[in-house]
Amino acid sequence: MATKFDAIVVGAGPAGATAAYKLAEAGIKTLLVERGRGRGSKQVFGGRIYVTPVREVFPDVEKTAPIHRWVKREKISILHNSRILSLEYESPEKHSFTTYLTEFTSWIVDKAINAGAVYVDEVRVDSIVEEDGRITGIEAGGERIEASIVIDAEGVNRLLLEKLGLAERLSPEEVALGAKEVIKVGADKINERFGLEEDSGLAWLLVGEPTDYLPGGAFIYTNRDSVSIGVVVYLATAVKKAREEIYRLVEKLRLHPQLRQYWEDGDIIEYSAHLTIESGRRFMPRKLATSGLIVVGDAAGLLLNTGYTFRGVDYAVYSGYLAAEAAKKAFNLGDFSEETLRENYEKKLLGSFIAKDLRNHTGVEQIMHEVEFFEKYPVVAIDTARKLFELGYETPRIQEALRSSLKTHHINLLSFLYKMFKMVRKL
Amino acid sequence: MSSRESGNQQLLKIQRIDDLLQRNLWDVDHRPHIVVDTSRCTDCEYKPCVLLCPAGCYTLVDSKLLFSYEGCLECGTCRTVCPREAITWNYPVSGRGVLYRFS
Repeated sequence: MATKFDAIVVGAGPAGATAAYKLAEAGIKTLLVERGRGRGSKQVFGGRIYVTPVREVFPDVEKTAPIHRWVKREKISILHNSRILSLEYESPEKHSFTTYLTEFTSWIVDKAINAGAVYVDEVRVDSIVEEDGRITGIEAGGERIEASIVIDAEGVNRLLLEKLGLAERLSPEEVALGAKEVIKVGADKINERFGLEEDSGLAWLLVGEPTDYLPGGAFIYTNRDSVSIGVVVYLATAVKKAREEIYRLVEKLRLHPQLRQYWEDGDIIEYSAHLTIESGRRFMPRKLATSGLIVVGDAAGLLLNTGYTFRGVDYAVYSGYLAAEAAKKAFNLGDFSEETLRENYEKKLLGSFIAKDLRNHTGVEQIMHEVEFFEKYPVVAIDTARKLFELGYETPRIQEALRSSLKTHHINLLSFLYKMFKMVRKL
Repeated sequence: MSSRESGNQQLLKIQRIDDLLQRNLWDVDHRPHIVVDTSRCTDCEYKPCVLLCPAGCYTLVDSKLLFSYEGCLECGTCRTVCPREAITWNYPVSGRGVLYRFS
């Protein structure tokens, strides 16, 4: 039995739900299919969303979205040997906010439903159907549903695109594994302990000890009444060098003598894990649309990881929006060919701030794979700071402190300076 | 015992992965969504799945690999790191598996 829709969106994450909302709003008969139960139940992110691109798509985001706290304080720290070296930045402006992705996605799915999209949860799509060189619908549990256009928002594990031959099987070089715990602490305690105002939050990135000196990083985000703490490790190096399970690393972060004060009387309310794209440019499929198909969000490789900034949800929302715009044009023209969809979606996306970001930061990937940056340099930085601040009789000059720390760890000063210069250029 | 004390104990306790997984909401299917052909694991030197699965689904017992799908967080790591292509990986059907609420 063939049911027919104008458009089918596979996956109700931020990208898929946005596409479905924009399509339904334009009067296009849209089916939004989600494998999870309810809304957002299979979704995990680090903890924050940059608001500007989201505002362009949803002008009411600040008024109606489930925003927990506006990130007004950024902190980057190196942890080693019971010492913490930090860089802190504070701003009164609102550019990014913390939330639960589960809640944020529900907010978009509700909009899609209110706009007239048909939302079906608990359905795992088994394949995207291709007939005579064009996509004609989906298949789930032996049932086939047809549509003029399918939007693939399946996420980082691209089982459907792999079947179609549009994406390769994932390799460890392309992704990192993130695991996080959400600890309920209470809003007042968070404000008091982190020194935050009612609606303001902290995004804290940590390297060194928290990842067991593996390439990656640890994070701490303050939500309304909870904190999200987690660890991200690059799979390529973790495969060879990991010595401990990732949940052990998260636990060490939770129990860290200098950090536990923030949440130690709290309650762990969730533990989650997800793969995150390490190199968006490399992960991006050869083409982002074929006849009758558009690829959005994580599936399209739209995630930026610079080591100090992670962006994905805003890119997802924006790509869902661009996909819906392209699909609307296709319906007007009655033309769902690869040429038309690539012209109206892929070209727009590749010309947008998203592709520009991904191109602009490709150099950073090389740094992410240089083990020294995670294994040795955090230790050198802490050692140097220790020599400068923990004074006994003598007061070393900065240069002396750095030189002797490098010597202790058998690092040549010139190669160190060269790598630093390279890093500054790449960043 | 005050709630503060109980919270404290929970956080201080070194968690077994099962204790941690129990914090989540689950509706586990009786049919496994992932199947591992463990005959391919015998000569796998590294067995990266054991250390890298964030849910501890892969364990070694007398150097034999055991897999249980029940605590799977559906992340895809095992599929990505397996050097033997021993894993037939898919998501659970009918909304089963882990149900995130705060992530």
